[in-house]
Amino acid sequence: MIADLVAVNYTYPGAVDRALTCVNLRVREGDFTLVAGPSAGGKSTLVRLFNGLIPQFYGGKIGGSIVVSDHDPSRTPTREMAAIAGMVFQEPEVQGVSDTVEDEIAFGMEQHAVPPREMAARLDELLERFGIAHLRARRLRTLSGGERQRVAIAAALALRPRLLLLDEPTSQLDPAGAEAVINTLASLPGTTGTAVLVVEHRLERLLHRVGRVVEVAGGKVREWTPREAALELTAVPPVVELGRRLGFVPPPLTIDEFRAAALGRQLGARASENLVAGDPVIKADGLTAGYGDFVALRDASFTLHQGEVIALVGANGSGKSTLFRAITGLLGRISGTIAVDTGCGLTSAAGLPVQRRTAGAGLVPQNPSLALFKDTVRDEVAETLHLRRRPPESVSATLEAWDISHLSGRNPRDLSVGQQQRVAIAAMLAHEPRAWLLDEPTRGADAEAKTWLAARLCAHAAGGGAAIVATHDIESAALFATRVIGLDGGEIVFDLPARVAFAADGPCPTQIARVVAGATVVSEVEW
Amino acid sequence: MHTFAWLSWVALVMAVALSTTNPLYLVVVLLAVILVAALSPRGDHGLTSFRVLATFGAGMLAISVGISVINGSYGRHILFTIPGPNFPDWLGGLALGGPVSAEGLVAAGIRGFSILCVLLAFGVFNGAVSPHRVLRAAPAAVFHAGLVVTVGLSLLPASIDDVRRIREMRTLRGAPGGMRQLPALIVPAIIGGLERSMRLAEAMEARGYASAPSTARWPQAIGALSAPLLMAAAGLWYYYDNLRPLASVLAAAGACALAAWLLLAARSRHTTRLRNEPLGALDRAGIAFSLALIMFTVAGKQAGWVELGYNPFANLPAPEFALPGGLVALACAWPALRLALQPSKQELMTTPSLYPAKVARQ
Repeated sequence: MIADLVAVNYTYPGAVDRALTCVNLRVREGDFTLVAGPSAGGKSTLVRLFNGLIPQFYGGKIGGSIVVSDHDPSRTPTREMAAIAGMVFQEPEVQGVSDTVEDEIAFGMEQHAVPPREMAARLDELLERFGIAHLRARRLRTLSGGERQRVAIAAALALRPRLLLLDEPTSQLDPAGAEAVINTLASLPGTTGTAVLVVEHRLERLLHRVGRVVEVAGGKVREWTPREAALELTAVPPVVELGRRLGFVPPPLTIDEFRAAALGRQLGARASENLVAGDPVIKADGLTAGYGDFVALRDASFTLHQGEVIALVGANGSGKSTLFRAITGLLGRISGTIAVDTGCGLTSAAGLPVQRRTAGAGLVPQNPSLALFKDTVRDEVAETLHLRRRPPESVSATLEAWDISHLSGRNPRDLSVGQQQRVAIAAMLAHEPRAWLLDEPTRGADAEAKTWLAARLCAHAAGGGAAIVATHDIESAALFATRVIGLDGGEIVFDLPARVAFAADGPCPTQIARVVAGATVVSEVEW
Repeated sequence: MHTFAWLSWVALVMAVALSTTNPLYLVVVLLAVILVAALSPRGDHGLTSFRVLATFGAGMLAISVGISVINGSYGRHILFTIPGPNFPDWLGGLALGGPVSAEGLVAAGIRGFSILCVLLAFGVFNGAVSPHRVLRAAPAAVFHAGLVVTVGLSLLPASIDDVRRIREMRTLRGAPGGMRQLPALIVPAIIGGLERSMRLAEAMEARGYASAPSTARWPQAIGALSAPLLMAAAGLWYYYDNLRPLASVLAAAGACALAAWLLLAARSRHTTRLRNEPLGALDRAGIAFSLALIMFTVAGKQAGWVELGYNPFANLPAPEFALPGGLVALACAWPALRLALQPSKQELMTTPSLYPAKVARQ
């Protein structure tokens, strides 16, 4: 037994409601546990109990008994707990303490006075095991997100902890980086006996690999095997969802299992109504842009019409954000032409300032909640309307449209991350531009938020609007996209209708497309 | 080259450049620093910081000369006169404007020039040794303080990036540019910076850093004692000529206390290093040379063994160039010799040269 939580309650300082209520949980050697559940349900809180960050770093009131490897983490100094329970956080950028990869991995060992010879041996072993030996002398700053997270895992394991805790380690990564991190994790429990507790939203990569699933929702914890979880969880991967709807028992966890279970079943695809594209809203021709000598976007041409929602896909650094910046005029030196409909038909954007261009094509960059600075949500929305010279009466309508009326008097800083994100998007788009440009709006969002945003995008398009959404998340893109543009190395490599792009033989197949010919999302499947 | 060797060189340049007022010697020091800069290895941030410090140094030179012009100056060679008020004595007798003499300009230029030399030396040091290496070389007693500084340095680029992104988002919301937007930039930038620091602090705590046992009480007390001892020594030395022997004793006691603090603190913190930077024979020699030369310069100037001064107000004489002074200034170029003899591999940060054999195998 590594850890035992008995009847644990926890309340954050200043909070009224408990963040966790009566938690009972045991962790044994070699356990591989997925912690799932909606945003702000208490997942992060739960994993922080094991190494004493809660309550030692956060404060607050804690009750019940916690024993981790014969220590009480709420009393044991974190210095000691770090050698028992290692932790990896969400953002790769704010975890690094050192300059180079090997110094970063050695940091914890140096603090714990591991003898240099032993330290070098452990370092070699870790670098070898995680396939990052070629990175050992590299600077952390020069690594990709996926590489940095693997370094962070190696650094946490250098102290030989019995328990490894990960708080959404892949939410900031592109699919390739996330895959590498998950593969690394999956190899751990078998080889070292280290128990792994990982908080994750992207269940499709993990559900079939873990030994059990812990759902944390509303501060309550429930424990399931992956099969039970497939039946019980509210948000499951599409293929599991479809299996559930078809009544497969036990529900399939992977595409292969689904295929086996669906043998002999007649599954068809419902034809969705054909899209009637309206007038052009944005037209780009031969767009080339870059930073200094580096060309980040090369010869991009496309037209966005009313009623269209384009999913913009591609790895990190493929030019998605650059495309948005070029359209809105944030990048000065570009070649090619851009025309934007700013209210009176398509007009050339050359010479138009950012403020004018974004009146027609509103851009929401990554992490928009960074820009919030007013005291209330209502003021935040009113600020944009004021800057855009819109009547202040439309504040209420905007709050209503974005489903944040109930938050209007709250301080944006006190909201949960998901709510903050929605408020920020609402504030950036309060002036109702015809085209929306969203840069990874669902990064780190839970399934409910993704579904909500998909519906909002579809409604916007149906009302004569249009949107381009940069995303890594193919499954949720399939819920709203009518067209998919793929970028690679700064060039458009494909520009296809969603039906073709998401199909089994397309460039980015969805889970459903791979099991039911002709369908891309669960709602299109007929039986 | 070892971090300590670099530090000793910076100290040497400081000692020489601030001791001499002879422009010829200063030119030699400047050339020595530039020679070392040309040969020294540079990290990717090195060139930027060198440029920033060089610009800053040039600015200091300009300000030094500018102030001397505004203040007016003594001397016989009056170049021109700036009209300005002379306040009466009961108002402090401050003079603004007035005659500007060639002597005053030369003296101000020399002051600015020596500051420029020191700043350039810091620029070279900064480029050659990353802040993380300085942290590793810092004595255990100041490890906490050093870590705070290093973490601050590594958060700085992210914060600058934040401000840029917040400004962009303001524009995207339709805000005009200008100073009126300042609160909308500053508030989120500060909050964002604080949140990032908190997350970093949390990550460090989770990795077992925060609660390392602190230094015991009494070594800290000894460390604290060194400050009043050293201050008293300095005061006695400068103001009471007849008490200089006592001042020397106090200074020695203060230095011992400081050393004891560093040693005891190092012993009470149980940490290890993945690898210690090797302090080779050449580096040891360089450090010893620097320290000896610093003492020679400071003591020699007092005792009059070596003449480093130049007084432009004595009717603007041509500065003299004597061999001892010239040699002292030239000695500031010793790292060039050191780097030419044995180019150090460790500082070539762009290539993975730490473990060449292993990298080659892959």
